[in-house]
Amino acid sequence: MKNGFVIFLAAFAVLLTSWSAFVLGPQLQLGGAKQVPVLNSTEVYPRSRPGEANQGLQVYRANGCAACHTEQVQQDGVACDVVLSSAGKNPSAVSNLLATLNLRGLNQEEAHAASDKITAAGGKVETHIVAVGPDIARGWGLRRSVAEDFLYDNTVQLGSLRIGPDLAGVGARSPNANVVLQHLYAPKSVEKDSLMPPFRYLFEVRKIVGGEFSPDALNLPKEFAPADGYEVMPKPEAKELVAYLLSLHADVPLYDAPFTPIIAAKP
Amino acid sequence: MTVNESPTNKIDVSCRVPLLVLFGGAALWLVVGSLLALLASLTFHMPDKFGDCPWGTYGHLQPAADDALLYGFCIPAGLGVVLWIFARLGQTPLRSALVPVIAAHLWHVGVLVGLVGIFVGDSTGFAWLEFPRGGSALLFFAYLLIGLWALMNFSGRRDGGMFPSHWFLVAALFLFPWIYSTANILIVGWPVRGVVQAVITWWFGNNLVFVWTSLVGLGTAFYFLPKFSGRPLQTYFYALFAFWTLLLFGSMRGVPAGAPVPAWLPVLSSLSSLLLIVPVLAVAIIGWKTVVGAAGEKCRGGSFCMIKFGFVAFVLSALLLIAQSCPVIGRLTQFTWFGTAQTQLQLYGFFAITMFGAIYHILPRAVGIEFAFPKLIRVQHWLAMLGIFILVASLAVGGVEQGMKLNDPAVAFGDSTKAMLMFLRVSTTGLLLILLANLLFALNIFVMILAWKWSLAKTVFAFVISPLNKTEVKA
Amino acid sequence: MSDQMTPTSSGAEPTAARSLVPMWILVLTLILLFLGAVYFDRHSGWFDKQVYPPYASATMLESYQPKSGAAAAAAQGKRVYEQICGTCHGVDGLGKPGQAPPLAGSEWVIAKSHNRLAHIPLAGISGPVSVGGKDWNLSMAAMGAALSDADLASVLTYIRSSWGNKAGEVTADDIKTIRAGLVRPQPMSLDQLMAVPE
Repeated sequence: MKNGFVIFLAAFAVLLTSWSAFVLGPQLQLGGAKQVPVLNSTEVYPRSRPGEANQGLQVYRANGCAACHTEQVQQDGVACDVVLSSAGKNPSAVSNLLATLNLRGLNQEEAHAASDKITAAGGKVETHIVAVGPDIARGWGLRRSVAEDFLYDNTVQLGSLRIGPDLAGVGARSPNANVVLQHLYAPKSVEKDSLMPPFRYLFEVRKIVGGEFSPDALNLPKEFAPADGYEVMPKPEAKELVAYLLSLHADVPLYDAPFTPIIAAKP
Repeated sequence: MTVNESPTNKIDVSCRVPLLVLFGGAALWLVVGSLLALLASLTFHMPDKFGDCPWGTYGHLQPAADDALLYGFCIPAGLGVVLWIFARLGQTPLRSALVPVIAAHLWHVGVLVGLVGIFVGDSTGFAWLEFPRGGSALLFFAYLLIGLWALMNFSGRRDGGMFPSHWFLVAALFLFPWIYSTANILIVGWPVRGVVQAVITWWFGNNLVFVWTSLVGLGTAFYFLPKFSGRPLQTYFYALFAFWTLLLFGSMRGVPAGAPVPAWLPVLSSLSSLLLIVPVLAVAIIGWKTVVGAAGEKCRGGSFCMIKFGFVAFVLSALLLIAQSCPVIGRLTQFTWFGTAQTQLQLYGFFAITMFGAIYHILPRAVGIEFAFPKLIRVQHWLAMLGIFILVASLAVGGVEQGMKLNDPAVAFGDSTKAMLMFLRVSTTGLLLILLANLLFALNIFVMILAWKWSLAKTVFAFVISPLNKTEVKA
Repeated sequence: MSDQMTPTSSGAEPTAARSLVPMWILVLTLILLFLGAVYFDRHSGWFDKQVYPPYASATMLESYQPKSGAAAAAAQGKRVYEQICGTCHGVDGLGKPGQAPPLAGSEWVIAKSHNRLAHIPLAGISGPVSVGGKDWNLSMAAMGAALSDADLASVLTYIRSSWGNKAGEVTADDIKTIRAGLVRPQPMSLDQLMAVPE
């Protein structure tokens, strides 16, 4: 190739292809995305985050949390579980049949065959769709992460390395804000072998006023607690960060990531 | 002792000051970057010591270390080598060197602004794009100036032909402004909505870390390998083929397999990565045919050795990249240290070591002074090779182990992290060796800069105190 | 560095050798492109923005959509309950003194017919009423009036089957009928509520 200009044009064309595929294409397809309906419901998803949680996303970004944590649940496959909803008029026949059948983790043909057999024996069944994958099995989410999950994220912090666990569903699996705050201040107090640095600069240790702990003070085990007469108070950044983390859920069924939601029966 | 080759000498000398600024600053950032990387690695072995100051957390140290290596060392070193290779291949000295000198200073200021920005919390939060706006604006403007000067030299060249290195280096000159401006405008300036930000980040990161460094590194290797082997590059067509396929398939990848984006993006990306096997084969054949069996082949720890090592590292790094993009292996290695291993092999094992070889060859010729510690060059080379080998091997093997544990839900998450600790300790050793190697490199460069400044000062001083000619004295 | 000072390296610039075009590499590229096209056809969903892995096509995605059944409705009911009713009646259904009576074990909730129960969120209730043996004298707005038939039905089904309550489901059609027959969409008193047939 001798002509510099020809090379420039051809290289420009190649780069334009790459730009069209990975910048223009996604922007046209996903850039104008809006809220989507939740499966089998009139609700829409996602709901925008309250202000404190939005601020928390900026704290997450500024502290480089995405260097160790991802926010994308993976899903390897999808399966059907056949569930009995009514034993019908002949419960003993149905229960004998159930003992012989495998009803979990089926593909669609197997699920149809199993539910046909049970219906023929007089029972009523439902087919539940479940997501399959190590992330799902670990309880990190009920389905894979999709584009709608990040619709209102001003800086999308997907992460690329799992030095720490995935956080896409951390709001669903954290019992309350205090546990998360404690995890930030003294990770080893919650997770014995944690490699996470203690983010002590997001908290301040101050003298107890009036002889009693403040309502916001952290409740720490002895070896992590400050000296007598002192309490650990979260700074606003810590509270915002925790509000953000608690807003992260990966458990709403959508058209592009369907599953049958099950609620745990309350006693 | 200086090299006595007159017209070539003029060309080399014309690049002197821009190269000193570019390479000098690059050496400084290289040391800073590897120090930050070592500190980042230490946070895993003693996490409790790093919790009191925000500047000490992994989330600040690691991005800063990565950006210091890429923007602080790799790009300015590459630009300097491009300037010199264009001047030499075109047999045309670099004109008006003041502009690239100013631009080089602007670049280094931009890197400083960017790194400080990361530490104070102004990081943009996007991989390889963390520098806040002030820093990235300076970098963009500086690159434009230097790129423009290189292109002017290229288009005004006396020797009108084009050598394969020209294609690679000219394409790289155009690539960076395009991807950098697009990424900064669409992610930082006027952000696009939602997950599109992530797609553009991946596109940018791949095009900079893989495509740009491969173009510049291979362009440099294709210049020096035939030169040192004493043989023509084997062959023109393989180089042509490698250039087009690398540009096409290299730029159409980057989206990871499990990403929260519609299926066509990761599938397109995996296919393009698989097709990268073609340019990698072509490049490997070029290297093999040009170097093996040539007279100048003996390796004595100098420039030729470094460029050969870098070349082999490229082939290996590209193969790891292709492996990561296969569905089965990718599922195992995603989100693990394996990706980090491949990136470090690309940036340091391939690109940085190729740049070391080029700089050790170019700088004495441009400045007219030999390096003060020539024996340390070989020591540096062995330390760098050993260090990157230990780093990449430990992180790659550890990453596979981590991936196997991550994919097994019966294994508690904490166990996958605990399993990594041993590998991380080994990788910290590798980083220590790399830091030492970089210090030796920087030592030679800084001493040469000082020697040049000293000789410059002596010249100026001698001029100032010399007696005036009679004709200059007015009565 | 003296070992690099061969005559070629000191001055002459490198050149490139020309030779025959290696056809094998072109053929390899074409084969890989073909295989890639086949893989793309099978796995990419053809640029459909709703198709994510593991779904290989829009058809497959459609076939795996769960049909709305009792489980789905109950989960939906729980979500709506916690959003709208839980603040006053409690996420645990135990109510809050001075705010709202409990729903767990409430005779109004577990009554065999859902007719009276459905009127409460649709019209509101005000004035003294007895729940579980305790007297309450509060006022509730028509919190369910803005909900769709399906959503209100799922909430009522949820409260009738949670916290130990065991009563039958309420369907969207039931709500639709009741809503259409609402004469007085204002908060009802106990007498007005008792006037609603079971």
